[in-house]
Amino acid sequence: MKKLVLKRLLQLIPMLIGMSFVSFIIIQSSPGDYFAQMKMNPEISPETIESMKVNFGLDRPILVQYLLWLKNMCKLDFGVSFAYHIPVRTLIKFRLKNTICLAIFSLVISWVIALPLAVFAGYREGTFIDKIFSMLAYLSISLPSFFVALLFVYFISKTNLLPLGGTRSIFEVDASSFALFKDYMEHLLVPGLVLCLVNVGGLFRLMKNNFIETFNTPYVLAAWARGVPRNSVIFKHALRNALNPMFTILGMEIGGILNGAALTEIICGWPGMGSLILEAVLSHDLYLVMGSLVISGFLLIVGNLIGDILIAFFDPRIRIS
Amino acid sequence: MCLTQKTGEMEQILEVKNLSVLRVEKTESISILNDINFMVKKGEMFCLVGESGSGKTTLALSIIKLLPKSFKIASGEILINGKNILEINEQSMRNIRGKDISIIFQDPSAYLDPLFTIGSHLQESYHGKNENKKELISLALQEVGLDSEVQTVYPHQLSGGQQQRVMIAMALINKPSIIIADEPTTALDVLTTRQVIDLLNAIRLKHNPAIFFITHDLELAMKTGTRIGIMYRGHIVEIFKPGREKPSHPYANILLGTIEGKDTILELNFKKNTMDSKQMQQKCPFFDMCVEKEARCKKTIPFVWCDSETGIRCLKNGRNTQV
Ligand SMILES: Nc1ncnc2c1ncn2[C@@H]1O[C@H](COP(=O)(O)OP(=O)(O)OP(=O)(O)O)[C@@H](O)[C@H]1O
Ligand SMILES: [Mg+2]
Repeated sequence: MKKLVLKRLLQLIPMLIGMSFVSFIIIQSSPGDYFAQMKMNPEISPETIESMKVNFGLDRPILVQYLLWLKNMCKLDFGVSFAYHIPVRTLIKFRLKNTICLAIFSLVISWVIALPLAVFAGYREGTFIDKIFSMLAYLSISLPSFFVALLFVYFISKTNLLPLGGTRSIFEVDASSFALFKDYMEHLLVPGLVLCLVNVGGLFRLMKNNFIETFNTPYVLAAWARGVPRNSVIFKHALRNALNPMFTILGMEIGGILNGAALTEIICGWPGMGSLILEAVLSHDLYLVMGSLVISGFLLIVGNLIGDILIAFFDPRIRIS
Repeated sequence: MCLTQKTGEMEQILEVKNLSVLRVEKTESISILNDINFMVKKGEMFCLVGESGSGKTTLALSIIKLLPKSFKIASGEILINGKNILEINEQSMRNIRGKDISIIFQDPSAYLDPLFTIGSHLQESYHGKNENKKELISLALQEVGLDSEVQTVYPHQLSGGQQQRVMIAMALINKPSIIIADEPTTALDVLTTRQVIDLLNAIRLKHNPAIFFITHDLELAMKTGTRIGIMYRGHIVEIFKPGREKPSHPYANILLGTIEGKDTILELNFKKNTMDSKQMQQKCPFFDMCVEKEARCKKTIPFVWCDSETGIRCLKNGRNTQV
């Protein structure tokens, strides 16, 4: 187990280097850069721009630029954002926190809703209630997240039920931490529920299919044949085995939180990584793009690692081989 | 000589009367088991022999009331220790399963839950009082020739033969009056097969449960069975006692021919069978392939008991009694 984790963490290094190298080359060889926009601005002299370029090391060849960036990366120095003029690390830290809170919220809620319903419906496969759930799940799967987000935003702006955009409305210095937390959660609710709604159908369907599949396995038949009580057959044998492939899904969902939430974050005005990456890419804010890419690659690999560790932990066939 | 009603009651653990099972599909229902009649008595090894798809597993699952959803029991009675299980509810059936009747399956690795230890499997199989649970589990393992330490191990860490021994230990832990074994050795090699058969026989002689042994291997059945039922396309066509008489149904004779090396008859077996289920119910199921058929075989042939233990579903039912 320890070996597995160590091996995977070591694999992470060449993967991150390879990924960042390719991205760096692509960004730097695509037409236009951040300074091209600055040149349009008559208030900034060409000399200023040139000195900025030298400061950022951008007058050197691309490969040297990359190696410099990589060297700084090893010291966890992500560079400075052209647009914000503050370290990329500070920027990402704040935004990443918001994205992770959003992801954890939507992940927990959608799993807590989807899994029990899937077992409930899977056990009653083909009945009226199962068909209703399947229809709702189908709806959730087929609605695009931006559409649901727009609907929510429209609805909330009409009713003013919840605050929209940003993470806080309380700015008093003496506000209690509970009030601050409550305020944060209220802001989180709109994008969080949107993500839940989009996620829950697919999860339900996956879990239901897993459950039905394991419910029809020979070892479940054998458990019935041994006179094992119904609840044990369902929750011990069928459910436990049906959960196994879900660990991989969980890992994938953790790994994909940046991509999964981006559109929703932008539409709901949630200051997470999504809008940050979008702005950075549009304005060729090189180090910000690179920093975000490294973070998203890191999350992807760590997410999958978590999935693998969970499977290894819960499946003796992998744990003891 | 043959009687339409069987006489002489002995200790019958399992009795199946006029059992018919259908598979219900969207447009039609297909007959899988047709008017099955047999009984298994205390302590005997009843072997059911039939080719692949003849309905052996369907019969076994009917007896423990665990048929897949698409299968329906159309008519008949299944008596376990005199109680018709088709008339009792699921909760009462759960009390019978594993306790009065237990079952061993073909491929042991698929029938053990990969996520749970052998010990956990055995513990949930045991339905008795908690006090002597531990000793009884160790005893059951000992009985099938396994170490008590095997309890801490997961199914995938055992060989096929060991897994099947675990299945047998689970089957006998509650001292059931009958154990169904559905081709328990098909997934095993020759030597392991021998060991498993010997083990089942030893258990039968020691604890006296009846064993309902399902196999497609007539030779094996002839060696180990006290009685043999021959199954053909959802019908039991003959029940006979090996050692006392030779089977006389034409299909049973063909099967016997295959183990005696008469390959001329084998060709018959490969002839395509074109009967559909409706026709099958109307005439003898073996009609199209039978070399001894007559015009009167084109009507429904009932199963008749020749004595309290043997019977046949054929109009040509003069039984050959020499050994
Ligand atoms: N799940 C199923 N779905 C559809 N048909 C089935 C199913 N299971 C069995 N059947 C049909 O029922 C008939 C009897 O099958 P059964 O499994 O009882 O035969 P068997 O004698 O046990 O064969 P084998 O020796 O291969 O185990 C077969 O003709 C088969 O086509
Ligand atoms: Mg079978």
